[in-house]
Amino acid sequence: MSTRVRPRNRTARAGVPLAVQAMEGKFAPKRIDSAALHEQLSYRAAGNPPGTLPTSAISNCFPGLELDFRNVWKKLFDGIEMHEADNLVVGTDPGHEDLRFHRLVKVTIPGPEGNIHQPIIVNVRGPNTNGTEIDLGAQALEWSNAFAELVAAGGQKVTCEFTREKATDPVGPDAETRRVTLLVRKFFEPESAVIARDLVEPGQLTQSLCSPWQNDYRECACYYWAASRPDYVNVETGPQGNSVGENWMQVRGSGSKQYQPDDFQSPGLFTYEDMFRRWEKVLRFEIAGQDTD
Amino acid sequence: MTIRGLRILPPFAIGRLGSSPEPLENYDVRVAEDDPLGFRQIHGAETLVVDRHRGTIVRSYTPRSIKFKDAGGRVKPVAPFLEVWADVDGVLVPLTTSLLAENKLSVDDVEWRAQVGNLKAFRRTNKPPDRIEADTGWFRGHGLHLLTGRCENFLRGRSIPFGDVQFISPGRKFPEIRLRFTPAKGLIYGAKKRSQEGDLTGGVVYDTRRGTWSGYSDSYARPTSIVTAPSPIYANLDDPRSTSRGYLDDECDGIVEVRIMADKRPVLQAFARIGAGPPDFAPDSFPVRTVADELEQALLGPNPDNDEVSLEWTEEIIRRAFETVRLQNTAALNGNPIDGGVANSMSTQDTNWNRAQEPIMAPAIVDSKALQALHQSVFAAIRSGSATWFGQVLRKFDEVGDLTDRGRRKMPAMMRGADGLHLALTRRQYNAVLGSGNKQATSEDARAATFTAPTTPPGKETE
Repeated sequence: MSTRVRPRNRTARAGVPLAVQAMEGKFAPKRIDSAALHEQLSYRAAGNPPGTLPTSAISNCFPGLELDFRNVWKKLFDGIEMHEADNLVVGTDPGHEDLRFHRLVKVTIPGPEGNIHQPIIVNVRGPNTNGTEIDLGAQALEWSNAFAELVAAGGQKVTCEFTREKATDPVGPDAETRRVTLLVRKFFEPESAVIARDLVEPGQLTQSLCSPWQNDYRECACYYWAASRPDYVNVETGPQGNSVGENWMQVRGSGSKQYQPDDFQSPGLFTYEDMFRRWEKVLRFEIAGQDTD
Repeated sequence: MTIRGLRILPPFAIGRLGSSPEPLENYDVRVAEDDPLGFRQIHGAETLVVDRHRGTIVRSYTPRSIKFKDAGGRVKPVAPFLEVWADVDGVLVPLTTSLLAENKLSVDDVEWRAQVGNLKAFRRTNKPPDRIEADTGWFRGHGLHLLTGRCENFLRGRSIPFGDVQFISPGRKFPEIRLRFTPAKGLIYGAKKRSQEGDLTGGVVYDTRRGTWSGYSDSYARPTSIVTAPSPIYANLDDPRSTSRGYLDDECDGIVEVRIMADKRPVLQAFARIGAGPPDFAPDSFPVRTVADELEQALLGPNPDNDEVSLEWTEEIIRRAFETVRLQNTAALNGNPIDGGVANSMSTQDTNWNRAQEPIMAPAIVDSKALQALHQSVFAAIRSGSATWFGQVLRKFDEVGDLTDRGRRKMPAMMRGADGLHLALTRRQYNAVLGSGNKQATSEDARAATFTAPTTPPGKETE
């Protein structure tokens, strides 16, 4: 169970998450306990639509839409800078130069019920092209979940295990390691719900997004963020009982309603040029799944 | 009431780009009580109208309906307010003109500063002269302060506007101390190349005689593993090296600070973070995993207390998953053949590991309508307390490398996580679902209750 300081004033309705209450306009306190950091984090200022809330910003960042939130973890350890999406040390302060281009393999986190040994790398396993289940490789876990317990150790030193040798290519969880003690930076400013100043500098939370973002809307054909950047719209039930609809990136009025799979060459889909020059015109807002501006 | 400290709320405000001079009105989104998985309803909410010339709120009103584009077809920017709250004996209250006066302070003692950056080119080239940064410096008064993005590698006199900030003059009806951040228009900037000029809606800013962003390639990175993931993600010439066109945008993120001066020294101060990204094109739907979920996990830890978990929280997680699925062509994302091809999806991404290409779920059951019905039945089962198996179908954070059929069918399915593998919820979300009573039964029960095996044998379907 959590050992964090809990909010002292429960201004919110029990049960319904604060984030939901905020978007519904049902969480608008006039007083907030200064220790009630969750309430402060969830607060929606007067006049602000829900699209201003972090609840509206996707966080399965690969690389992201509003932010690439992975960047917040780069400097969690004092003295080194991690890659935003990999366990590779990409920068070092004086005294830690020997860690550059080594990989973080494990962190030992002190906890109230004993040390937590958090592996950073998982094996990727599945059937190969012959259908035989094998180890296919290794991958570093995303920081947010890998460091979920580590954040509470902010301000303390922890033991990290890095690859013994430089490793610019991925390594498995059983790689040979050496132990290094590092200070964990505090994630939030003291007594505050704002991300600490020394954790991320202006511009860093968006630095690894596509340049320009409009290019990614054309290029990335994987629709993992459909609740912000839709894929399948104007959907109806077809004669067979299956769905019939359009690709959000599809030129409207181009004939019968038929989903056009992503294809860079297809004249039925918006082009890079459309995105650069006319994105405000061609991209539609979807209310109840239907084109609505 | 002595002011002991300041906060800016919200601590993190998202702005959204758009070229309309009219900011988006305020609204609430609500779940209909009689249709918990229906589209959320958008209702107009109190909207503050700012006279940008005078820096005052001239009126407030509640719009009857919300239009996301103006009459000219331009997208309305989302321009958040940031409020200053005062810590008075352990309780935060809005900082107002009267509270300032009680503390022998006035509006004239309040100073603001905003610093934002766009480091996209710098992240790739690693050359500090490619940093684009704006800093208003400390200011008082209620005029507009432009966020002028400057860069050493820009042509002389050129810049990228990142929008503006304005200290709103408090009045009798709106006495609170607040600032408004209005983001940029969503324009594209770049280097002078005749063939590309039409794309550069913001104009030519980049000096190719000084900087290397135009012509840069991720293939130049050494070691290659330092590039962004995914890579390359910048407008490029579609050549073998993915050579950069040198395009830049007006997204940004940064810090807004406030301080109160007394005797020419700051006596109280606080800051918050802001960012500016694309519009939310489906404003009645919310992603299954959001920045709020990350921040809550960082703030409160991965293990919610028993009195924090609730049926409503679990329902909201399923609702958001449903809201994503509802706007996806799940048959395509499952890897079902469409028009003789297979769409880019987790099914095809997994082949990067030399995994067999095959649909994730049984192709016959993944039509959008069928999956919507499935989510509705799961939702109903959870409400009735009969979905004790549900926790078993959720992907744990350390199971993302499981690309077996069984592993890939766990929830959330067909979506990509921040590590490029199949998406897992935050550990806090996952534990919240389990904590609300959905952890009994076996994985076999769970599988039987949801998905059948794929009809295509492993390895039989290839590109």
